[in-house]
Amino acid sequence: MKKLNMMIALLVIASVVLAACTPAATEAPTQAPAPTEAPTEAPTAAPTEPPVVEPTAADCPKAEVFCVGLVTDVGKINDKSFNQSAWEGVLQSQTDGVADIVQYIETTDAKDYAKNIGTFGDAGFDVIVTVGFALGEATVAAAATYPDVNFIGVDQFQAAETDGVAGLNFPEDQAGFLVGALAASMSKSHKIGAVCGTDVVPPVWRFGEGYKAGAAYADGMNGTTTEVFVVYHSDVGFDKTFTDPEWGAQTATSMMDNGADAIFGCGGITGNGAITAAAQAGAYAIGVDTDQYLTLPEAAPRMLSSAMKLITPGVAELIAAAKDGSITYGNVFGDAGYAPYHDVAGEVPAEVSSMMETLNAGLLDGSVVTNVPPVKP
Amino acid sequence: MDWKRFGFIAIIIVVLFGGVVAIGQVQQRPLLIVTSMLATTIAVATPLTLGALSGVFCERAGVVNIGIEGMMLASAFFGWLAAVYMFHVFEYPTGVSITAGALFAVITGMLMALLHAVLSITFKVDQIIGGTVINILAVGLTGFLNRQMFFGKGSVFEGSIPNSPGVLRAIHIPITEILSPLCGANSPLCVENIAAINRVFDQKPIALSAILLVFISHYVLFNTRWGLRTRAVGEHPKAADTVGINVIKMRYANVLIGGALAGLAGAYFTIESVPSFEPLLTNGRGFISLAAMIFGNWTPIGAWAAALVFGASSALQINMQIFRAVIPPQLAFLQQSYIVGLVPYILTMIILTGIIGKTTPPAADGVPYDK
Repeated sequence: MKKLNMMIALLVIASVVLAACTPAATEAPTQAPAPTEAPTEAPTAAPTEPPVVEPTAADCPKAEVFCVGLVTDVGKINDKSFNQSAWEGVLQSQTDGVADIVQYIETTDAKDYAKNIGTFGDAGFDVIVTVGFALGEATVAAAATYPDVNFIGVDQFQAAETDGVAGLNFPEDQAGFLVGALAASMSKSHKIGAVCGTDVVPPVWRFGEGYKAGAAYADGMNGTTTEVFVVYHSDVGFDKTFTDPEWGAQTATSMMDNGADAIFGCGGITGNGAITAAAQAGAYAIGVDTDQYLTLPEAAPRMLSSAMKLITPGVAELIAAAKDGSITYGNVFGDAGYAPYHDVAGEVPAEVSSMMETLNAGLLDGSVVTNVPPVKP
Repeated sequence: MDWKRFGFIAIIIVVLFGGVVAIGQVQQRPLLIVTSMLATTIAVATPLTLGALSGVFCERAGVVNIGIEGMMLASAFFGWLAAVYMFHVFEYPTGVSITAGALFAVITGMLMALLHAVLSITFKVDQIIGGTVINILAVGLTGFLNRQMFFGKGSVFEGSIPNSPGVLRAIHIPITEILSPLCGANSPLCVENIAAINRVFDQKPIALSAILLVFISHYVLFNTRWGLRTRAVGEHPKAADTVGINVIKMRYANVLIGGALAGLAGAYFTIESVPSFEPLLTNGRGFISLAAMIFGNWTPIGAWAAALVFGASSALQINMQIFRAVIPPQLAFLQQSYIVGLVPYILTMIILTGIIGKTTPPAADGVPYDK
């Protein structure tokens, strides 16, 4: 009897574990019977037009079929932020007729970076986009293994130039600067806050420092003194500092207890928690990376703006450059910007919005500088 | 009562708060710092408290439950999903949708617990493995369904994350009304102080019920027949069986209670705190709950006190950074966010060295009962 129970138990566990692992390992929404069936790939927006001789991922080793693969950082393709904007850039290259096949792999564990990149490398993809600072090392390593592949490392600062790797960077300090100036100009209590992921990641630190610099710049123009609270998340593991909305919400609430009335959430899903909490309490909320008005409906009514990295056009341009051979390796810089005011446009005085336009133009032509160093001293 | 333990906990909390007040008083009034930190502490401790209570019920009955993390995660997801469906698809009013969401979260927690109970009580599977199954299942299930439900083919939401019905409202405790008459006329500072004190009591339903449940659990475990039987089953199931207590039934019931508590903890994330679900949003809080349970020596009040320590260290980490600009130069190391981030871990290590006395798990904890 005991043995029988043991057997049943084993079977139950096996079936449960299998049931649990299947979705976790492939992470593939089974949309559209995709033409390809590689185990770890996600049949996403795979070509849907009626195929005559439709190329599939199996044709990627052929020179005439241009394939682009994207590996996400730990997180989802629909993270409303980073992975999503990069993927939209890849999709745009497909719409523009540059890429024939586009696919993505979602990374579920930081240990899998190299394996996921290798999946595309072995399949003969022409361009592999890796999203996020954390994939930097794995990307450089993969460039040696797959010399024929062009790698686009989104948000990967290249300390030394590696053949085959174009690091797409953004002036985060400028994006932070813009929203910092905006927050300081809009704050009635002259106290503003930023809730960020870990400052071990240089781009996150540059956002925070840029935010402070922008607030100080606006103070100089408006004749005000603004207190800026910047809090980084560092009490959990590295990869978890960006996926902790509850911590973000608590931190934003603490800042509002101390009088802050504009909160900048910089740090993936952690920031989303801060933005939502700020908006619920009626403070101004400021998003990051993409126009989060579009992706955080709970916070939309109080979204003042977002510090934008123009990732989508940056990725699409680099893919096009890779196809026509004009791609340069090392660090490539995209542009920063700020999102429109949407629902709170009526609350933004004309002089503030004209100041913002001047600042944006000044940062683009170099007449305004943030004085933020590229890495934490 | 374990006064040494509680004294130690009180000292830690006072030191953590005092440190922030000492530094922040240049910039902010001490009362406001303390009340804001207290409010943060209580909020952060809420899921930890409920998770630890879940552990206390399971383990007091002799079932090790390391699946609390998974139970929380699954409950957070299904509670939120239910609230969104009720609101958008069936078009119920906001209040009904949110309440139904909380209810679904609790039911989800109980279902996950039922799986754990079947595996570990009926089939006598190693309980650590059973808990691991729960954790893996929850991550896979919520990650997959989160995508399928909103981005999958045929999703009613057609790829856009719907606006959620919102979160539970704070329960109004009339602190302001009671204290206001104490303020004389024309005393804005007094009014401001009362607003600051009110901030501590400005808590939402799950946070308040967590505190209530601590004392209810204590009463049930140590002052009722049910509690005595539960503890008997966890300490010496054979003896309990000999006097006619149904060991299997008691264990099932307590694991299910534990599941309901973990479900409520899950509801805290998506129904009370932030109205959205993100994959893996529980971020290891289920495991911190277990640490709190052990630190609290498998008692509800002890576990709550331990959860408050974790809450206070989180409040310290946040507030130290808020007052970063006024940290005196001789304490410049505190300006580094990763240094203040270490506090909870250092505390855990100090606690686990047994400096405040040994903790004793129930004797039959983790041992399946064989007649």
